[in-house]
Amino acid sequence: MIRYAVYLLLVTALLALQTTWLAGAGIGGAVPDPLVILIMIVGLFHGPEEGAVFGAGVGLLEDVVTGAPLGLGMLADLCVGFAAGLGVRIIYMENVWLPVLGAAALTGLRVIVWVGAAHLVGLLQPPLLEVLRVVLLGACYNGLVAFPLYHGLRSLDRALVRFREESR
Amino acid sequence: MLLDAVGRRRRFVVFVVLCILSLGVLTDQVRAPDRRRAGWLAFAVEGVLAPFTAGLSRIGDKVGAARAMLTEIGTLHGENARLRIEVARLRAENAQLQEASKEALRLRSLLAFKQQPYHTISARVIGRDPSHWFSTVLIDRGAADGIRRNDPVVTSEGLVGRVIETAGSWTRVLLLLDPRSAAGVLVGQSRDAGVAEGQGQPMLRVKYLSRDSDIRPGDQVVTAGLGEIYPRGLPVGRVVSVSRTEADLFQEALVRPDADLRHLEEMLILVSAGQVAR
Repeated sequence: MIRYAVYLLLVTALLALQTTWLAGAGIGGAVPDPLVILIMIVGLFHGPEEGAVFGAGVGLLEDVVTGAPLGLGMLADLCVGFAAGLGVRIIYMENVWLPVLGAAALTGLRVIVWVGAAHLVGLLQPPLLEVLRVVLLGACYNGLVAFPLYHGLRSLDRALVRFREESR
Repeated sequence: MLLDAVGRRRRFVVFVVLCILSLGVLTDQVRAPDRRRAGWLAFAVEGVLAPFTAGLSRIGDKVGAARAMLTEIGTLHGENARLRIEVARLRAENAQLQEASKEALRLRSLLAFKQQPYHTISARVIGRDPSHWFSTVLIDRGAADGIRRNDPVVTSEGLVGRVIETAGSWTRVLLLLDPRSAAGVLVGQSRDAGVAEGQGQPMLRVKYLSRDSDIRPGDQVVTAGLGEIYPRGLPVGRVVSVSRTEADLFQEALVRPDADLRHLEEMLILVSAGQVAR
């Protein structure tokens, strides 16, 4: 329970940052998305099931806070969490490039699912080149941001798991 | 047997169920007015988060102002000289405009023109939608100040959008550029009517313009005042290009908004008279 309470506090803080400082740090329409990195960590270290549930919750909160139609971020983030969990089977977890490449790939996946779902329900008709541009820029930007963030968030997650096991 | 199969594939079952749930929520949203229905969830979450975003936004503003002051010291001397010339020019222009204003007042009284009664409430932006595709901002005034859903929002340059959600001390504004936004407009000297729609891009698309109308780049676009949301005559933007083919029933225009919607900091909410909180 404590782990989820800490996650909730962390998500709230990251959401407040994302709608204020980070929203003004965009490059060509792409902004850093630290929540993707947090969802990636939960998916990678706690499995696809927990990754999907955590992603859905974070995505729903993100939709509420950013003013987007509810369900878009929820769908995109649950796919991110689930894909991160499935990735455990095919990647070497101690690879030093894991944070960068993982965050870049999952950010790209998030944008594609998000725009695809918005297009599916008639909310957006974006030009394909524009989507590709934002996917590539967003993936590179978040990949770079992931490098310092990943280890901090990973250490926090490890400490929370250790605390739970010791308190049993 | 079925339960065993479900147990073995539990992770995929969870994934599929969550996907169906989120698509269900999304399709419900699409049918809602403004393509968003957050209800009590938004009020609860924003009620907790709005004070934090307001605080962070203020800190960000102060840091930005300090950084700008440091970088601008060198340019202030030249800027000062340029501003002196600008003041002299504006004084002359002001004298001319005062004359024009008096004339307009006389003509208005002759026509018994009735200005729609609006009060303005100034507000600061405390949060933005970070996504590239939708455009909403959160401001630091709310229902407690008399703001209601669908109140128009402007800056000194022109129309910004309208209110879609409001509670105690915060309000969410749907910007003109958002794909969920549409406003009735009049274009150019010919005053042809059309609908300005956001498309998630820096330009608005004005649709349903008569194919015979003479619309050119540079023409001013203003609100038509035909709906119940925007008053007539608010500046919206200027025509950048017009597309017209032989096969089309209507022509379309791309319009650059007058207000700088990507860098909003302060704005005014137009509130009907009698609606302002005392």
